[in-house]
Amino acid sequence: MRAAFSISPVALAITLALGLAALPAAYAADNDEAALRAEVAELRAQLVELKHEVQQMHAAPAAVAPAVAATASAAPASVATLPANADAASLPGAAPMQSSILNTAASATTLYGYGEMNYTRPTKDKSATQADLARAVFGFIHAFDENTRIVSEFEWEHAVASADDQGEAEVEQLYIEHQLQPNYGVRAGLMLIPLGLLNEHHEPTNYYGVYRNFVETAIIPSTWREGGVSLYGNTEFGLNWSTGVTTGPDLSRWDPTSPEGRESPLGSIHQELQLAKARDPSVFAAANWQGIPGLTVGGGVFTGKIGQGQPGFLANNARLLLGEGHVRWQTGPFDLSALYTRGTISDTENLNLTFIGNPTPVPKSFWGGYVQGAWRAWEHDGSAIAPFVRYEEYNTAASYEAIPLGLGVDPLVTSKLWTAGVNYWLNPNVVFKADYQQFRNESDRNRFDLGVGFQF
Amino acid sequence: MQLRWLIPLGAAAALPAYHAAYAVQYLSVEQAQRAAFAQADGFVDVPLALTEAQRRALDQGEAALSISAPKIWQARAGQKNLGWLIVDQVIGKAEAISYALALDADGKIIALDVLEYRETHGAEIRLPAWRKQFLGKTAQYPLRLDNDIRNISGATLSCRHLTDGVRRLVQLYAQVLKPTSG
Repeated sequence: MRAAFSISPVALAITLALGLAALPAAYAADNDEAALRAEVAELRAQLVELKHEVQQMHAAPAAVAPAVAATASAAPASVATLPANADAASLPGAAPMQSSILNTAASATTLYGYGEMNYTRPTKDKSATQADLARAVFGFIHAFDENTRIVSEFEWEHAVASADDQGEAEVEQLYIEHQLQPNYGVRAGLMLIPLGLLNEHHEPTNYYGVYRNFVETAIIPSTWREGGVSLYGNTEFGLNWSTGVTTGPDLSRWDPTSPEGRESPLGSIHQELQLAKARDPSVFAAANWQGIPGLTVGGGVFTGKIGQGQPGFLANNARLLLGEGHVRWQTGPFDLSALYTRGTISDTENLNLTFIGNPTPVPKSFWGGYVQGAWRAWEHDGSAIAPFVRYEEYNTAASYEAIPLGLGVDPLVTSKLWTAGVNYWLNPNVVFKADYQQFRNESDRNRFDLGVGFQF
Repeated sequence: MQLRWLIPLGAAAALPAYHAAYAVQYLSVEQAQRAAFAQADGFVDVPLALTEAQRRALDQGEAALSISAPKIWQARAGQKNLGWLIVDQVIGKAEAISYALALDADGKIIALDVLEYRETHGAEIRLPAWRKQFLGKTAQYPLRLDNDIRNISGATLSCRHLTDGVRRLVQLYAQVLKPTSG
C-alpha cells in the first residue's frame, strides 16, 4: 500500500543521512560557531519538516479509515482498490483505496451487486398475495490494462433455480470494453441494449415503484441484452451515442398457445445469448443529449430480421422494428420523465394462418408510453423520501396482419394504469418502496406493493 | 479504423490478467494548474496536516468518500496569492474519480476538472455544462445534488459523490486554508 504523501521512506532516510553527513563536513569546512549554529538550525528546520511529513504519513491512512467505515452507511462500499500504477503515481497524493473486504492492495477487480425483494397484494384476490426475492445480482469488473476491462453481471431470479423451481440463474452482462480514445470505445460480448430510461439503469435504487414500469417491461423487454459488438462515445456538447450489431429475437420460438406473447411479445422470444440462433443480425443505434444539466433527451432504434432463416419456417422475412423516445427533467426536488415506444413485426400473415384457433398470434404492432412525476419531499444526510405518480398506457398487440374469413383474433384492449407510491431511500444505496397500482379497465389487476432494494 | 479494435480485443482475450487500473486520464495536474491559473508563475505546495478536530468537522455528515488526503497548491504570481488548486479523489459508483478544484484568493470556485475517470457509466460528469454549475460558488452555498447542483440521469452516484467531494473541499478552504492564509 502506498501512502498519501510526497516523500518515500527511502528518500526520508537518504535526506536524514545526507543531513547528518553534512554536519562534520560543515564543521571541517568552517570552524565558525555561528555558521555551525546556522547549520544546526537549518537541519532542525529540515527535521521539523520531515516530522511533518511523517505525521502526514500517519494521518493519511487514518483519514481513510473513518471514510471507509462511513461507506457502510453512506457511500458505496465497493471492493475496489486502486493499484499504485503509473497513473495513480502521477497524481501526487493519490493513494490506493483500502479495500474494505478483500484487503488486497493493487487489485484491478471491483465487485458490485444489487438485489430486490417485494410483496404484492392484489386487492380483488387476496389469495394471490405473494412475496418474492425477485432478484439477487452480483457482478465484477476486472481491468486487464488501462484501456481494457471485462464487465459482468450474474443474476438469480426468484431465489431458487432448479429443474423443479421457477427461478432462473443467468448471465445478464458479460462484455469486453476497450477504450480507443478518451471519448469513444468498443464493446464486445453480452450487453444491455441502450433503449429507454430503465434498461441500462435497472437497479432498484434507480426507479420509482416496487416494479419496473409496464412499458419498459412489456414493450421494451428489460432487462434486454443481446450478444454482439458496439461502439459507444460521447461528445463535449453532451451527446452520448452508441450503435452496434447484435443477435436478435427468434420468432421461430413464438408459442401461440401461451399468454407470454401477450404479456411481452419480445420478452417471449428473446434469446439471452443461450445458443442463440444468429442467422439474422440486428442493429441498434441510440443517443442521449445531456447538454443542459438536469435534462436528458434521447431515443433509439433496434431492427433486424427475426425469422433466423429456419428451414420451413413461414416468417423468415419477418422484420422487427422497435423505436423509442424519452425525456427526463430533474430540477431541484422534481424528477419528471416521459417515454414513448412503438414496435412492429412485418410479414407474419402466413405464420399466423397456422396459429388460427390459438389465443396468441404474432402482433403486427405494439406500443406503450408513460409520464411520471416524482417530488423529493424530504432529504437529510443521504436519506430521502420521494412520493411519485405515474400514468401508463401500453398495448402488446395493438394490431394483427389481416386474416381472411374473420378467423383472426381481435387486437387487445389498451391497458391503462395509474401508479402512486413513495420511495424512501434510507441512504442512496438502500431503498424501501410502497405503491398502489390501479388499472382503468382491468380492475382485477389492481394491487398494493411493498419492496426493498439495494445496490453497492 | 472500424477494424482497429479487432486486434486489441483479440490480444486482450489472450493476455493473462495482471493488476492494472482501467483509467482514462483526461488532464494532468499540471494542465489543470495552468488552465485555472494562467497568470501564475509558481505553485507552492501547501502541506496539509489536519488536527483531529478539523478532520472530524470535515467528516461530519459527509457522504463523500475521500480516499486520500487532498493535495493542495497555492498559485502565485510573484508574492501575490492567486488562489488554490486542490487535487482530490472520490468514489463514483465503485471506482475512484480524480478531480481538481480551483479556488480564487477569496475561496470562490473558478474551475472544476475531472482528471481521471474509471467507471463504465457516468463519464458524463466531464460535461462542461455540468461542471459549470459549480463556478462562482463558495462555502456559503449548499453544493448539494438535486438542490443547487442538477443531476445527470444515469450518472447519479458519480454526480452525487463528486458534488459531496467539492463541498468538502470548499469547507476545507473555509475551515483550514482561509484562516492560515492570513
